[in-house]
Amino acid sequence: MRSLLLQIAAVTLMNLKSLPQRLWPSLSTVVAVALVVVVLLAFLAMTNGFQQTLMSAGAQDVAIILRGGSQAEVASVVARDQVRLIEEAPGIAKIADGKPAVSAELYLIVDGVKRSSGTKANLPLRGIGRQGVEVRRGIALVAGRMFAPGSSEIVVGKALLREFDGFGLGQTVMFGTGRWTVVGVFAAEGSVFESEIWADLPVVQNFFRRDNVFQTVRARLGSPEALAELKHYVDTDPRLKLEVKSEAAYFADQASRTADLIHKLGWPLAIAMAFGAVAGALNTMYSAVATRVTEIATLRAIGFGGLASFVGTLVESLLLAALGGVVGAVATLLIFDGLTASTLGASFTQIVFRFRLTPSIAAEGLILALIVGLIGGLFPAICAARMPIVFGLYD
Amino acid sequence: MNDLLLIRKNLFRRKLRTGLMIGSILTAFAIFGALASVEHSFNAGQSLAPDRLVVFNKINFTQPLPIAYYDRVRAIEGVRQVAHLNWFGGYYQDPKNFLIVMAVEPASYMEVYGDEIDILSEAREAFLRERTGALVGAAMAKKWGWKLGDHVPIASNVFVQKNGSRSWDFTIVGIFTGRKAEVDTNFMVFQYKYFDETRLFGKGEIGWMLLRTGSQALNDRVGRTIDQMFANSPYETATDTERAFNKAFVAQFGNIALIVRLVGGAALATILMIVGNTMMMSIRERTREIGVLKALGFSGGRILRLVLGESILLALIGGLPGLGVAALFILAVRGSLTGFLPQLFVSPDIALAGLALMLVLGIITGLIPALSAMRLQAAAALGRN
Repeated sequence: MRSLLLQIAAVTLMNLKSLPQRLWPSLSTVVAVALVVVVLLAFLAMTNGFQQTLMSAGAQDVAIILRGGSQAEVASVVARDQVRLIEEAPGIAKIADGKPAVSAELYLIVDGVKRSSGTKANLPLRGIGRQGVEVRRGIALVAGRMFAPGSSEIVVGKALLREFDGFGLGQTVMFGTGRWTVVGVFAAEGSVFESEIWADLPVVQNFFRRDNVFQTVRARLGSPEALAELKHYVDTDPRLKLEVKSEAAYFADQASRTADLIHKLGWPLAIAMAFGAVAGALNTMYSAVATRVTEIATLRAIGFGGLASFVGTLVESLLLAALGGVVGAVATLLIFDGLTASTLGASFTQIVFRFRLTPSIAAEGLILALIVGLIGGLFPAICAARMPIVFGLYD
Repeated sequence: MNDLLLIRKNLFRRKLRTGLMIGSILTAFAIFGALASVEHSFNAGQSLAPDRLVVFNKINFTQPLPIAYYDRVRAIEGVRQVAHLNWFGGYYQDPKNFLIVMAVEPASYMEVYGDEIDILSEAREAFLRERTGALVGAAMAKKWGWKLGDHVPIASNVFVQKNGSRSWDFTIVGIFTGRKAEVDTNFMVFQYKYFDETRLFGKGEIGWMLLRTGSQALNDRVGRTIDQMFANSPYETATDTERAFNKAFVAQFGNIALIVRLVGGAALATILMIVGNTMMMSIRERTREIGVLKALGFSGGRILRLVLGESILLALIGGLPGLGVAALFILAVRGSLTGFLPQLFVSPDIALAGLALMLVLGIITGLIPALSAMRLQAAAALGRN
């Protein structure tokens, strides 16, 4: 056993030491694997960043109440009487002044100009009351102040400010004939709320001729368990044809639709590219074995087993692929990680997100690289192990 | 023995290696073909007639316009035909079964879209007459197995009926087809009157208008006239060509073209390196043979042609079936993607671009080994082991 291990170690070391002789083919395998890994990881980092942006917005103990059947806030309608009934519902927490933590909101779409393309894009304008900020957690003004009630002032999320033109502090924005002034910039722990514009609810209702109409109601619950209680209350009142979900469930659903699409694109592409890389790796390793024919035969003649040649070849292939995987992961980290992008989400408005590469995603890339190395090395390794001694020495 | 035979024999002397190369080139061109088709589909609206203008609410295209605007726009000089449309947000049975459904005024709709979709005259008359009648595109009818005369309940995720129901009942009075292959027919239209009378909110509002000026030269003037007419009203308008509007809408999803180019570029770069290296390796192995050819009197130029011919042949043998695989793949998935990606197919332009890329790939991968083979001295080559 010990001698076998020594044999394997000796052959492997010899193979690796001779790598510089096959510099170009080996390098092409490394780069090919690296490119495959970059493509996979870029897609996965994009999906992950997008999901995190939406998921981090959803709290377990905040209920979102929409008109039944409307899948997004923008398509929902809730009447004032219904809002009053919800305010009396059980399970809802109280805010400082003893009022229920219920925020009735209007969610409309307005035009903004995307910096990267210079084209119009859909931005969400959310009309909220004082409770709007209190129901949500983690909202903090990073510049300026909150809009004053009754004024046509807006505050914008800091992600929106970054991706879209004309929303700088103090600037005036036109929505139709309406003139609005940006008085503050807010952060929301990187969540999707940072892609929104907020203004005073009654002003928005008035300007968009939606007096006494709301679209969604958010309610902070006493505890996540109180959701069932609220659901039961809403379901049993015939005046409330509404749907109650936890905010976390709502955003998870919103995220899954777009994320699914990116995901379904990334993996097949990477796997198709991996086939190409496997072909490259096979070629490199077959030719590596071919150049070592005499060497392998000599080793066999002096008593080395076939297994040593097998392992030596396989390790070389795996090592090249692993190197490619690491190069790919590092390249993704340098080029894509933290990159901001925005896309049209399920709510029909722009969602600004960052590419996020995590160690577990990088591991997926490395595994793909190793699979390429394994397949690319396996057959040449078998070939090396089975080579007849005479054939090698004769050549 | 002619040169082509020699090239072929050389190419397939190591069957496994050549097979692997063909496999990887095939994959790269399959990726290229599929991605380019997706990008092409995203920009499909670019083939629309250039005299089509769309009038939306200036705030955003999801905001409504009053129906009164329709008559005022129709009276403007230079507006030949105009239709108004309203997004319905439809789905069939389950919210996941999303449908493109619009409420339209039948006469003007059929006038404006007449050169795009083919509606039989019986269907035209029925659509004008039947209050709850709907025209369904052939693609949509096929997808859901609907036939002429069927009654279908279509729910809306935006609107509610006055009676509290979210679902409207339609009678299919006609199934239309596209006049050109690239017209997507995965949508349906129904009477605006029926919609407006039964809906709970938004009465008297329309989504947008589509008009034709008859000549591209009139576009600017007509657009300006419309927007000035409604300036400073509670509903200001933004008029643009349908092409420009579609382009901006596609841009909302992100820079699709950039993603396609990056991924396609990565796939091709990978293949370029693998094939280039292998070609170099395979020519080096044949040094002595090339010496023999030279000794037999083959000129340097002929050797160059032989080697380049081999690499180009390899690129074509791998690349052409690759494009074929892309076409089959697109054909297989297009059914489930018509909602997102209309006009999804490998176009002749893409095939030509693919062919050009194959030639480039063949030349780049073959050039260095070909040049070194050309310069080889017969004596030196024969002496080398």
